[in-house]
Amino acid sequence: MKNIILEKIAGFFLVLMLLFSVIIFIRGHNNPGGGFIGGTVAAVGFIFYGIIHGVERVKRLVRITTIEMMGAGLLMGITALSISSFAGMEPATAIWFEFTLFNSFDLHLGTPLLFDAGIYFVVTGAYLSIIISVMEVLKWN
Amino acid sequence: MIETAVRLLPLFIGLLFLAGLSVPLTHRIAGKRLGLYLSLFPLLLFLSLLLLFPLFKESGAPVTPGFFELVESVNFSFRLDGLSVVFGMMISGIGFFVLLYSAYYMAGYDRQSHFYLYLMLFMGAMTGLVFADNLIALFIFWEITSVTSFLLIGFNHDSSKSRQAALQSLLITGFGGLCLLFAIILTGEASGTYRLSEMLASGFSLRGDASYNLVFVLVLIAVTTKSAQFPFHFWLPGAMQAPTPVSSYLHSATMVNAGIFLLLRVNPILGDTALWQISLIFTGGITMFLGALFSLGQNDLKRILAFTTISALGTMVILIGIDTVQSIKAAILFFIVHALYKGGLFMMAGIIDKSTGTRDVTVLSKLGRGLPMTSLAGLLALISMAGLPPMLGFIGKELIYEAKLETAIVSWVALPLGIGANMIMVAISITLVKDLFITGSATGATPLKYRESQYPWYFMAGTAVLAISGLILGLVPGVLDLMVGHALGWSLNSYGEVHLSIWHGFNKALVASIITVLLGITLFRYRTRVKPVVVSLIAWFDKMFLPELFASAISKFMSVAASNTKRLQHGYHRFYLITFFVVILLLLLIYFLSPGGGVAFPDRQYTPFRLNVVLMLFISSLAVLFAVFSKGRLSAILAMGVVGYGIAMLYLFFGAIDISITQFLIETILMVLFVMVVIKLPRFAVLSTPGSRLRDGIISVAFGAVVTIVLLNVRLIDLNEPVSTFYAERAYIESFGRNIVNVIHVDFRPLDIVGEITVLTLSAVGVYALFNIKVKRASKGVGEEER
Repeated sequence: MKNIILEKIAGFFLVLMLLFSVIIFIRGHNNPGGGFIGGTVAAVGFIFYGIIHGVERVKRLVRITTIEMMGAGLLMGITALSISSFAGMEPATAIWFEFTLFNSFDLHLGTPLLFDAGIYFVVTGAYLSIIISVMEVLKWN
Repeated sequence: MIETAVRLLPLFIGLLFLAGLSVPLTHRIAGKRLGLYLSLFPLLLFLSLLLLFPLFKESGAPVTPGFFELVESVNFSFRLDGLSVVFGMMISGIGFFVLLYSAYYMAGYDRQSHFYLYLMLFMGAMTGLVFADNLIALFIFWEITSVTSFLLIGFNHDSSKSRQAALQSLLITGFGGLCLLFAIILTGEASGTYRLSEMLASGFSLRGDASYNLVFVLVLIAVTTKSAQFPFHFWLPGAMQAPTPVSSYLHSATMVNAGIFLLLRVNPILGDTALWQISLIFTGGITMFLGALFSLGQNDLKRILAFTTISALGTMVILIGIDTVQSIKAAILFFIVHALYKGGLFMMAGIIDKSTGTRDVTVLSKLGRGLPMTSLAGLLALISMAGLPPMLGFIGKELIYEAKLETAIVSWVALPLGIGANMIMVAISITLVKDLFITGSATGATPLKYRESQYPWYFMAGTAVLAISGLILGLVPGVLDLMVGHALGWSLNSYGEVHLSIWHGFNKALVASIITVLLGITLFRYRTRVKPVVVSLIAWFDKMFLPELFASAISKFMSVAASNTKRLQHGYHRFYLITFFVVILLLLLIYFLSPGGGVAFPDRQYTPFRLNVVLMLFISSLAVLFAVFSKGRLSAILAMGVVGYGIAMLYLFFGAIDISITQFLIETILMVLFVMVVIKLPRFAVLSTPGSRLRDGIISVAFGAVVTIVLLNVRLIDLNEPVSTFYAERAYIESFGRNIVNVIHVDFRPLDIVGEITVLTLSAVGVYALFNIKVKRASKGVGEEER
């Protein structure tokens, strides 16, 4: 599929989708969204990019393998859950840190955020892994 | 001071594990020096224990606060008492030399980083085991030692013998581990705590309890399997398949001694009953004698040593069985004695193996010329094994005889068996000295591939230092007084002053020793006549007895499992689905038709009629029908997509926005995938007969109907208050989030999600593996089976 316009759009689309996925991921705590949806959106971006540019370009873009990405996600998730056990609390207890930015904006950062980020990476990695495998077998591009 | 120091324990144990787990990273940096670098960790532990030791008080063992409490009252807490320090020092001290030794011995092996990883984990688990205060933690470490020793024994995994030996040891010790878990749970239930410190402090004992017999038998099985007692002794000689540093470590201070440690540890809780005495003395007695006897029939140096280990373990079990101050003291001292000489002897065997290329004692001869230091050290260790002065082994044996003589009931059984076993030990030692260092059965000195001077210092250090410490401790045994005394106190719950000395005066024990030596020398003279008898005896035992039985039981089990798997895992996806649906269908039908169950549709207020929902359902149903009867693949896929989007819309109508978005996205990805695959597939092919289609149709319609009925029924279950209120109230207060679904995911029920993302990862990895195998197969040519 050689189509200059489509190729340009795919690149632009990918950036847009990734940004969008991060926004969805972050807003997930108060509005619809979160790690699962964010990860899926990011995967969709990569998939369309891959359909147009081919698997190799996606692989080069992601740098780490999908297996590594999923592993990192799982590790983040499990770390987020087990931190509390080492701090003497029950496992999977959320630990929150509060910050106040610019004297007005309250920011809560905590282990659930790390956990959600883990979900994000596992989901992105899993979809990418499946799609990349399928595309490689089909000798896509 | 000591209360502060105990807090370092989890750190040290964690450090051992961490050092092991980081081996894959560090081996690139450390390269050939990996063993040397790793040896610093046990050395650090050893030195700290040595420094801490004089600070001990007579009572009250400091305990660390528990952490990592996954289940209530089950956590990782550690204690520092006399008993654990004795074992901890031997584990770390010998571990240090074993790692030094491995640094040279393993240099030629592949997969060195695996070896060090397993060994360090094993060391960490062993250390954790002896310092654990919580019984469940003790069990966990116990199991880790079983698993890591399996990996170590099977390290040369391309040899089938080695794999078999590893499997055997895992199955036997794993079985013992299960028994131990039951015993621990029963004990914990009876006492109300899993913490040793609380049990010991309150003087808890199971002796009068109804579950005593059961608990004792379970502990006995755990100990006999782990410590290679008769009739489970056979895995230990098999474990000789491991690389020599591993054998040296397993036999001297760790693994098999874990059983001994457990007996000493539970002695205040379970000990001092008739059952304890009789069964332990009986088991230990048989093991001690048979182990020694069987060692006479071996030619392989490592196997000879393995059987003497079995015999030594039997001795310790007897001593713990007698359960007097004198005998426990002897057991603890003998553990030290045995660890020192056995560790050294195994390392010597490894050096000889490296230098000559063989371990067959009938071939070896006159090794003293090329390996002077090794020979000298080996000589000292063998003297200690024979129990001759001035080595520590002599004191150990004297104490054993005294303990046996002191107790009238047992002396008639234990003493003759003990003299018999020790007599064989003397004979074996003399035989080994003669075969290896003077002139053996072979004539002339064995040619050496390497001479001692070619070896680095760290390869020789273990044998030399362990043998020399046996000698020094034998000459000044007083330094061990405090150590053995403290250990004694924690195994018996009562302190006894310990004064070790090499000369006890002319008493019965000395007479027994002299008799032993004389008998040993006699046996040595007639060894050529005894050996064939022993060899045929071993053959008879192997055939009639457990090893063979065990092997056949395992192979039968495997074949039954294989045929079962073949029947159940036929590999046809449609039949899996049919089985699944039909079974659930039948179960639900049985429930509906049974008297207690049944379907009920009582009056209830249903959700008001909504036009958009009904329209959506109508469109979806149309799409389903279209998909079923469509002739084109692409249109069928698109129709399925419509169904998926329809479901997503339904979620949206009922306010589940998150799920709806997810459904939309996934539906999209699925469609893309489908279309991609479909384009590349060949044109339509009819793969199903009308009959099978009809069958599938009936099953799916029936299943759908039943699920609908179930759902209608589920709606009727009246919860007092919907769960959602609970989450809605707490989501923002406790977790600062307004999106309840997300808060439930990441904060209230994260374990579910961990499960889900794990499943997702596994399935993605599965797809990856599946496709990559297919790619390989395609490149190899069709029809070639990929293993």
